[in-house]
Amino acid sequence: MFSLGYFLQQTMNGVILGCIYALLALGMTMVYGILRLINFAHGALITLGAFFTYFVLVRFGFPLVAAIFLVLGFGGLMGLVLDIVAYRKLRGGPEVALLITSLGFYTFIENFMKMVVSPQPYAFKAPSYLTTIFKTSFLTFRTIDIFVIGASVVIMWCFHLFIKKTKMGIAMRATAENLEVASIMGIEINRVISVAFVLGSALAAFTGFMWGAKYGQISYDMGFLTGVKAFVAVVIGGVGSIPGAMVGGFVLGLAEILSTAFLPTSFSEYRDGMVFAILILVLLIKPSGIMGVKEEVRV
Amino acid sequence: MWLLKIENLTVKYGVIPAVRNVSLEVQEGQIVALLGANGAGKTTILKTIMGVTRPAEGNIYYQGTNINFFSPPQRVRLGITLVPEGRGIFNRLSVEENLFLGAYHRSDREGIEKDLSRVYSLFPRLQERKEQVAGTLSGGEQQMLALGRGLMSRPILMLLDEPSLGLAPLLVRELYAFITNIRQEGVTILLVEQNATMALKVCDYAYLLETGKVKVQGKADEVQSQEDVKKAYLGG
Repeated sequence: MFSLGYFLQQTMNGVILGCIYALLALGMTMVYGILRLINFAHGALITLGAFFTYFVLVRFGFPLVAAIFLVLGFGGLMGLVLDIVAYRKLRGGPEVALLITSLGFYTFIENFMKMVVSPQPYAFKAPSYLTTIFKTSFLTFRTIDIFVIGASVVIMWCFHLFIKKTKMGIAMRATAENLEVASIMGIEINRVISVAFVLGSALAAFTGFMWGAKYGQISYDMGFLTGVKAFVAVVIGGVGSIPGAMVGGFVLGLAEILSTAFLPTSFSEYRDGMVFAILILVLLIKPSGIMGVKEEVRV
Repeated sequence: MWLLKIENLTVKYGVIPAVRNVSLEVQEGQIVALLGANGAGKTTILKTIMGVTRPAEGNIYYQGTNINFFSPPQRVRLGITLVPEGRGIFNRLSVEENLFLGAYHRSDREGIEKDLSRVYSLFPRLQERKEQVAGTLSGGEQQMLALGRGLMSRPILMLLDEPSLGLAPLLVRELYAFITNIRQEGVTILLVEQNATMALKVCDYAYLLETGKVKVQGKADEVQSQEDVKKAYLGG
């Protein structure tokens, strides 16, 4: 039978994956809340962030703190560029145009990376201070595991403060609820949207880094499935809800790991399928998601 | 002195004109009423003044400047505030957050705090419920919140869209006392109403719209005494 240690170990793995999904879902739900856009380009930022840190941290040997700030800055900048170059011109147009553009951007980045880096996966050899192993009687973990959990908790807490307490955070919630009324309050909608893209993209790039350091392998197409799963987390948690995105991320991460860990091994091939089975299950039981609010249809 | 002047304004939704060749003036310090039935184009005019809707033709002047191409936030900074129809409050935000958003374009922290306590003294109910999510307020309280939020922007010109809609008669009377009060403090008001009787009691000048055009205009008592206005809008 499965031991307690095995259960705890797998739960920790689930929490770590949950952290990653939660951070991604956060950025996606923020953009979705305002623009009603399922931002597939979010996945591209994971790939870009992962390779960016690969070069900065592994190849050029920058210190960890510098690499973190660089990848956050790089992601944020990419988000801003994407918003200004691609999305801003489409504002006021049909929502599907935005969706297609985000898919297009993702496809472009994926193929660009395939050409520039390699169609082969890269081994992300994290510096030794991230891979030091600790053993206790129940759990075995590495520094990176602590880092992922710690960083995610800090980021989520900061994000919570930002959205609840700051002027921009309040403006962002107002814009998500009613764009027109927000603009007659004097809120510059374009600025709010840019901030959402910058923050979301910085988080996605940072997640790419964590993914690489944790799982040790990065590839030009790593962002696609991860991005889609993050969107599944958004839907499970309740579309447009920020606490929902975090809850959805954790539920999905835990479910994915635990279902693989406790089902017979022949099921482990269906790990990705599990994610979507959970999605279907949640949608059947509570279509608005775990913490979703009913939203009025926009005219 | 006019504060706001609209010249030959036409606004279209697609090809359908909602407002046709409307000209109007709002004098500084006055209450001007825009009256008319549903679909007469009243709300469209307010939205166009605010910059949310774009004019197909015509010009809007404010304090002597043509503001046709100004964005809504730019207009807010010039002192124009719209209290939207159906109150347009943010249901998922707290009462106090709603009020702070009214002062979004301002950065004078002390002034904002002062205005906040002023709004709370005008509407004590809002202070009692300041932490509450605005969606849980009653209709009357939501209206107070929308008005309070409008005041938080320190408006020069306040556009009120159907403020009495859905309010109990007693509250409507209170509301109109309030409107007269803020006018006395120097705020100019453009008031859109279906409730013509009430609006004509407080306004200085009125325009009556019918299917997008100005049908009658004049001082409040002149408009009130016109026979066809009486018949159509004042119940006899």
